[in-house]
Formats: sequence, structure tokens, C-alpha cells
Amino acid sequence: MAGLTLNAGSLAEALLARGPASYAPWLDRGPHLELIEQRALPELRSEAWRHTNISRWYQTVLNGNESVAQSRRIEFAGAVEVVDFEESRAAELLELRGDELYQLSAHPIAALNAMLLGAGVAIRVPARGGRLHPVRVVDLPASYQRILMIVESGAEAELIEEPSPFTHRLVELVVQSGARLLHRRLQAASPHRDCSLVAVRVEANANYELAQLSLGGDLRRNDIVATLSGESAHVTLRGAWRLDGTRHLDNQVAVHHDAPGGTSRQTYRGVAGGRSRAVLNGRIEIAPGAQRSDASLSTKNLLASDTAEVYAKPELEIYANDVKCSHGATVGAIDEDAVNYFRTRGIDGQTARSLFVRGFLREAIDDVETARRLGVIQ
Amino acid sequence: MSEQSNELADLVGAEHAATGREYTAGFVTEIETDTLPPGLDENVVRAISGKKEEPAWMTEWRLDAFGRWQRMRTPRWAHVQFPDIDFQAISYFSAPKGDAPKSLDEVDPELLRTYEKLGIPLHERARLAGVETAAEDAPQVAVDAVFDSVSVATTFKERLAEAGVVFCSMSEAIREHPELVRKYLGSVVPKPDNFYAALNSAVFSDGSFVYVPKNTRCPMELSTYFRINAENTGQFERTLIIADEGAYVSYLEGCTAPMRDDNQLHAAVVELVALADAEIKYSTVQNWYPGDEQGNGGIYNFVTKRGACLGERSKISWTQVETGSAITWKYPSVVLRGADSVGEFYSVALTRNFQQADTGTKMTHIGPRTKSTIVSKGISAGRSQNSYRGRVRMNPGAKGARNYTQCDSLLIGDACGAHTFPYIESKLPSAVVEHEATTSKVSDEQLFLCQQRGIEPERAVAMIVNGFCRDVFRTLPMEFAVEAAKLLEVSLEGAVG
Amino acid sequence: MSLLRVEDLHVEVDAKPILAGIDLEVRAGEVHAVMGPNGSGKSTLANVLAGRPGYDVTRGCVTVDGEDVTGLEPEERSLRGLFLAFQYPIEIPGVSNMEFLKAAVDAHALGRGEDPPSAVEFVKRARAAASRLALNPDFLKRGVNDGFSGGEKKRNEILQMLILEPRLAVLDETDSGLDIDALGVVADGINAFRDVGNAVILVTHYQRLLNYVVPDHVHVLANGRIVRSGDASLALELEERGYGWLDA
Repeated sequence: MAGLTLNAGSLAEALLARGPASYAPWLDRGPHLELIEQRALPELRSEAWRHTNISRWYQTVLNGNESVAQSRRIEFAGAVEVVDFEESRAAELLELRGDELYQLSAHPIAALNAMLLGAGVAIRVPARGGRLHPVRVVDLPASYQRILMIVESGAEAELIEEPSPFTHRLVELVVQSGARLLHRRLQAASPHRDCSLVAVRVEANANYELAQLSLGGDLRRNDIVATLSGESAHVTLRGAWRLDGTRHLDNQVAVHHDAPGGTSRQTYRGVAGGRSRAVLNGRIEIAPGAQRSDASLSTKNLLASDTAEVYAKPELEIYANDVKCSHGATVGAIDEDAVNYFRTRGIDGQTARSLFVRGFLREAIDDVETARRLGVIQ
Repeated sequence: MSEQSNELADLVGAEHAATGREYTAGFVTEIETDTLPPGLDENVVRAISGKKEEPAWMTEWRLDAFGRWQRMRTPRWAHVQFPDIDFQAISYFSAPKGDAPKSLDEVDPELLRTYEKLGIPLHERARLAGVETAAEDAPQVAVDAVFDSVSVATTFKERLAEAGVVFCSMSEAIREHPELVRKYLGSVVPKPDNFYAALNSAVFSDGSFVYVPKNTRCPMELSTYFRINAENTGQFERTLIIADEGAYVSYLEGCTAPMRDDNQLHAAVVELVALADAEIKYSTVQNWYPGDEQGNGGIYNFVTKRGACLGERSKISWTQVETGSAITWKYPSVVLRGADSVGEFYSVALTRNFQQADTGTKMTHIGPRTKSTIVSKGISAGRSQNSYRGRVRMNPGAKGARNYTQCDSLLIGDACGAHTFPYIESKLPSAVVEHEATTSKVSDEQLFLCQQRGIEPERAVAMIVNGFCRDVFRTLPMEFAVEAAKLLEVSLEGAVG
Repeated sequence: MSLLRVEDLHVEVDAKPILAGIDLEVRAGEVHAVMGPNGSGKSTLANVLAGRPGYDVTRGCVTVDGEDVTGLEPEERSLRGLFLAFQYPIEIPGVSNMEFLKAAVDAHALGRGEDPPSAVEFVKRARAAASRLALNPDFLKRGVNDGFSGGEKKRNEILQMLILEPRLAVLDETDSGLDIDALGVVADGINAFRDVGNAVILVTHYQRLLNYVVPDHVHVLANGRIVRSGDASLALELEERGYGWLDA
């Protein structure tokens, strides 16, 4: 089917003709099927897909990815429960998740994922764990993947998504009251088209921290939807990217403050060189009644070539008055004054630039552990 | 200005006592009109063109626009909600009866009284009303008064003509200066630019035309005062301002309408052209009827305003103070084509009750070293929704271009919304874009400080809001700044508590 | 008659008792110092006198010139001559000092049934007060406390006091964060303000300001009560021995 231009309509036809995947048959695909039946998939140039050629992505949706892993590889220790989506226990864990995460059934990425799902894993970190529980997801053996993770009240966990070529991944996370989840993702440079959606619900006094480093793909789309559903929840999102060649990275982030007293901090730093294209759409939404919300977003971008492109769209949508919200965005070039300063100290221009870029990216990925894991510093 | 008078100027805003508690411009003028029946088709377009005795090329231009408009759809991307507009229920032309007056003496006294009541005296002794202090040395302002679909009077035309400045109604310009109109009309906002611009191109009735010749500094402020009076009538004015090389002009625009329960459509197009080294300063105090406390009635203000900095080192500066209209959909923009040209956008938008505003700007950097500044202050109260929407685009040729954007929102009350939608697009490393936005409320601590000093809360909020808008107000000509501060204060009454 | 009378004042903040029965009487012409360790309730007393929202009076009352002001709004108290110099003056960006002061002066004039002063007259007064406090005239044009240094903020409070001429000035830790020169200037301002017709309450942690402005009465606050009252020598004793001995 390569080379064929697909639109929302023809994709829906093809999907309906094929029918839902047989994997994890217990999964309720009704609402997703409905979305596809109603032809509600995004069209070319629809607002949320302005900078990503959706028809190219739709092609990949049907074709899948030829280079997926053959088996599942997940590392964890202690009391963590890990089950395959094929097992009936996974259905129970999905029950445990509670309500659907923020309007997920209306999300095209979630809908396509449900229709084509081939590998999934459900993870539960039990309450009163007492210490940090690391879970490392290395490989899942299909193009369409799903991770569900529930961190129960008061527990502390870490989810690491390692470099793994995947075309399509849905990650659902619930951080129950008073729990804490550190989430680290490394997306290596990839010649493929891929797409992921992280949807997280952060309950009262819970803490979710994401650190994500992305090196771009042929066409890479990352959506994040974080909902602060309980009082005094806290969310930290940090993202760094470095693109070259014809890499394409489209980040769509939405943080919903649905309860009072929540805080969210978003920091993004990106470098785009070659003929690459970097997109960040970062929305903060404060619901009516979510008083004393405190939200901020900062995105800074460096253009490292004359042919790269940056699109930034930080948005605030605010329906409560006792709030403190801000965002800042900049686009510019590597500071040549700084480079020259390095050079007066005997460091050559290329090294200087690379040091400068690393320092710049580290503003987002600032803790040593994350930076080390993500390979920003050795 | 001396140190002392500078401080006095600062106090002018604090001096005045708020006069009206309500929308004071909401009265209706009883006057006989010549009004086209509601409805829109090619014949209506021809009829408008005919009433204005336009040349054939103009009629064709309109018909072309009408054809394009028929193939377009209402834009729905803005953060506003309203029922579909029945374009066949609107009358597209309404004018006071009788021949167009040749001089001020021939203007219907009822019309003169209307403008007098609005504080816009149409005699040449006068300035724009609103300031009682420092009256003697206040600068004179030339006024073009547009009543429903026609320009009823333009003052100071002779004095302006001595300087070579053309300031007249658009209808007159089409007759008297066809070469300029043909060259520039639609050159900045093309006919099919958007739905409302296309509609305006087909049915625009009147508006102002300004041409400032080479190396001329316009000797006084120019202003147009728009008044919608008739019922079920849309106002579609068209303004074109051309500043030739090295010219300078400052232009002010004000607008009001009667209080009516139905929504009325105002779909204007304003085009500004600045040639090399020219500067245009365009200031608006928009006070269209906003509707009542339940959200009934009010003007739909769907306006396209754009300036083209065509020449090197040219500059276009928009300042707007938006307090009126039920819905505002408006993005005064600048296309920065000439090298080293400068675009500015300063905005205060206040919404209350059920008002909705989606307003901002587009700065398109094309030429090298072009510079733009955006300062937007949004204030939401009541159950209103107030959005800033702006796009800064750095095209590949804009080497060394810069943009700075600051957008702040202030919320009063917990049932309103404040939103920020900036679009930043850059395609070259040497361009620098900086954007900052904040949202906050008037803090309890600030209020307490004012109260502790004896200032009552309503006055304190007005003062704090005025302070919040200061960076914008100071770009307005003095008379307008005072007017704007006063308008803001009146609009805030009852919004606190 | 006493200018200020505080009787059995109990105050809670967020349902937590802070003041537990304060009695205090201040007559015209007097300067009182209220001292005490951190958390003793000094600032609460200052704020509750000014009617700050969030401070709930659960018992007792405050009268000014015989009138009960306990239930009055902050601006009503201000018009009755109560002035609070804030410990942490808040910034109001964009509103110039001049504009702010004029609004306050006008409100006070109208409160007395007088016409507000003309702009010219007012500017004269404001400049005179500014120069007494060694403030650059530019100071009046800047936004209220916007970008001021700590010292400038405190001097600005005293400037407002001089211009508004209150009956009772409550100065909440006005001496904190001032260098020795600024302290002298502020003290000169307070001394210039002192008069047989008005009164001052200095809320302070340290004795240092009291070397410049000598109080007639010193009160020591601990755990929400006045545990000791005396004359100026009490402050010196506190300076020497700290607050600890009071518990003994």
C-alpha cells in the first residue's frame, strides 16, 4: 500500500473492513469503533495536525512497522505486578484504573491503538511499597502497543521506556493519591514513523514527573495528556529534543487542572538542525473551580540551520480566577557570543557549539540520573 | 514638558470623576433614512454601487468579491460562540435621506446633535471631547463622521489640503482619486482573504480614505467616528490609509451604537500602506454596544485590519482599546516586507457580562532586520470569555528579525475565562522570537493596601486595572488615553464584588 | 479620652487562635512600642487594627476616638485616621505612586467633606514629603513599590503616612531591612510626624529604632498576650537579656 495517499475516510473504510484486532478480545473497543464509524478521525490540516502530514501517518497505521521486536522484555523487581493484556487479570487492572482517562475514547491515537492492538502490558505497583519500584519496558512484540500502569496510593515507582522501535504506543498511567511516579522516556533517532500517547491521571497529593528525550523520527508524533484530578496534585513535564536531517517531531501536550491547588511545571528545550521540523503545542487548561492552581510552561528552541523549522504554540485556557499561570517561548540561534567566549579559552568552535547545546538541553533534563539514563551526559 | 506638568499628566486619569454608570452612547437618533430592504444578492451589490455613483470598475470589483464570498464558509476557529448569522435578514445600506451635504453647514442639525451628544463635535473649532484640562493648547483633530452606511461630514479638509493631505470619505476617494484607490484597495487585504473581508469587499458602503504625500507630516490627528444607528443594518466600512515615502500620520478611530436587543453585524476592513520611511499610527477605542447584562443584543465586531510595511524603515503601529461589542473577532496585523521595517501592536481588551473577545495580531516578517512588538492586556470579568490569539511568523528572508511579545491576562470573578493562543513559526536561525504570557487576578494584598489608604475597592480595582494597562495606554495620544481610562473605569463598574 | 482602646481582643487566623485577650490604651501624643519574639502575634495585632481580611475577631473590640471600629471595612478605618505601615509593602505595577497617593488623599478629603486638593497643590505636598525622606522626585512617578529596594519600600510607607496625616499610625516592623542611614531618615520622618494630636504604635522586634524614636510605653507580647508593660527602659532590658527571661 506504500505510496497510496490515505485520508480519514479511506482509512476508516480499510479499518472497518479489517475489523478490530483479535488481541485482548476482552477490551471494550466500542467507543473507538464508533469514532471510526462516525468518520471522526482528523483530516489533513486539522488544527491538531497542522504540522504533521496525517496522510503519511495513516499509511503507516495500516502497514505497521516491519522491524518490531520478537518478544516481550520487561525488567522489574519486588512486589510489582506485571501481566500481559491477553490475560484476564489485565481486565481487572483496567477496572482498577477507574474512569477513562481524559476524553481518551475521542482521541484518534487511542482509537487506532484499540483497533490494531498487538501487544500490551498492565502494571500495578501496590500501595505501601515503602521504596521506589523501577519498571523498565524494553521491548513489546507488536507495532501497536499499550502500557497500563497503576501506582497505588502512597507507592513510589519509576517507569522507564527504553529505546525501542515502535510505531504506535498508548501509555495509560494512574498515580493514586499520595503516590509518586517518575517516568523516563528515551526515543532514539528512528528512520520510522511513530506515534505515542501518554495519558496520565494524577490524584490528590500525588506526584508525576516525566523526563523525555527525543531524537526524532521520519515522522514522530508525541501526545501527552496529563490531568490533575485531585487536590494539590503535582505534575512536572520535561522534554528535550535534538533533531537533524529530515527528522520530524510533533509534540502535543495538554495539562488539565481539574481540581484546586494543583501545580504543574513544564520545561522544554529543543534544537532543530538540517531540514528538520520541531513542533510543540503546549496547552494549560484550568477548569472552573480549580482555584489556587499554579501552572507554568517554558519552551526554548534553537534553530541550528537555515532550513530547519520550529513551530511553538503554548496556550492558556483559564476558567478560574484565583490562579497563577504563565508561559514563555523563545526561538533563536546558538549564542555566537558564548561560542566565541569558549574559543578564547582554546575550545574549537564545533566543540563549543556542542557544549553549548548540551548545556541548553540540560535546562530541561537537569537531574544527573535522568540525563545519564537518557544519554545527554555520559 | 516640564517635570511638573508631566506628573500632572499622570494624574489626569486619576482626576476625572466617572460620569456615566451605563452605556451612555446607547441612544437612537430619529432621522429619516434611505434604507435598502434586507437581503443580499448581486442586485443589492449593484444597488449599493449605484447609490454611490461608482465607476464600472468598482462595480465589477464588488461583484467579483461577492462571487468569491458565496463560495466561502463562516470561520469557526475562534474561541467564541454565536448562532449562525442570517445574511439575508440584514440590510446592507442605510443612509440619512437627502443629497450628500457639500459642506458642514448643510449637515442635518439632528446629526450634528448626535455627534455633539457623543462628544464628537463636528465643527472646526473643536477637538475630540473628553478632556477638560489643558484645553487651550490641545491639538486639533480632523474628523470623518460615518453614520450607518455613509460619511456625513469630514472636518478640516481645506487645512489638510494645504499640506497636500487627502482626507475624505471612501466614496469621494473612488471618484476623486481612482488611481490611488485602484492601486491599493485590496492590496493588503485581498478580496478572498477571509469570509468577512470578502463580504465587506462586496458591500462596503463608506469609510475613510487618507493619503499623505511624500515627506509630509500630517499637520493634525485624523479621526473617524463610526456610528451604527439604524436597526437590522450591518455596517461595512472600508478604510484605506496610504503614507507615501517619509510621511507620517496618526489616525484615531472611535465607534458606538444604540442599545438594541438584536445583534448587529459590523464587518469592516482597514488597509494601511506604509512606503519607505513612512509611519502610520492607528489607534482605536472600540465601544460598540456590548449587549445587556443577560447577554442580549450587542454588536458582532468581525473586522479585518492589516497594514503593509512595504518600504524600508517604514513603521506601522496599532493600538486598540476594546471594551465594547458582544463578540470581537479582530487581528490588526502587519506584513513586514521592507527591510528594517517595524510593526507594533498594543492592545487592551476588556470583557464583562457575556461578552466574548478573540483578538490579537499577526506579525509576518519577510524583510531582513524587521522588528515587531506585541503587548496585549486582557481583562475578563462577569461571565465573559477573553482570548488573545496571535501569530508571529519568521519567513526565510527575515534575517536578523526580532519579535517580542508580552501578553497578560487579568481575571475578575470566578465565572469568566482568559485564554492565550500564540502561534510561533520560525524558519531561520538568525531571527529571534520571544513570547511571554501571564494570567493572574487582582491580588487581595493589593486591594488591602489600597483600602488601608482609604480607597474603596471599586475605585481600587479600576486603578489597578488601569495600571495593568499602562504600557498600552501610554502609546495612545493623550486625549484618547484619558478617554480609554475613563471607558475602562465605567466598564468595570459593578464588575467587582 | 483615649485615641485607641483595645479591649480583650481575641483573634483567630484559619481557626487558629493568635491573639488571646489583648488590652491596650493609647492616648493622643503618645508613642507605644509593641515588642516580642517571632510568632508572638505582633503583626497580627497591627493587621487586625487595620481590618485586614482573614483575621477573625472572636471576642473583644477596638475603638478609635470612642467609636467601635471592629466591624468596619479597611477603608472606613483609614478614613477614621488609622494608618498601617506594612511590613511587606505589596507592588502594584503600572499605578504610579503619585496617582495612588492622589486617590488616597482625595478619598480622605471627601471623607472629611472637603474638596480634594488641586493637582498642583497636591504635587507640591508630595514633593515636599519626598524630599524630607531623601527620596528622588522621580520616585513619585514610579509604580507603587514596583522594583523598589527594601529600604525604598519602607520609606514609601512613611511618605504615605506624612501625606495622609493619620490620627494613629501603626508601623509594622518598619525598621527591618533598613541600613543605618535609612533608619535615621525613617526615624526623622516619624519624629516629624509626632504631634500632640496623634499617636504612633511601633511594632518591632529590635530596640534599634527606639534609640531614634523614644517610646512613652513599651509592651511585650508573647503567645498572644501582653506579658509586660513599662517605659523605654524595658526595651533596653529586652535588648540586653533577650526574650527568654520573660518565660521564667
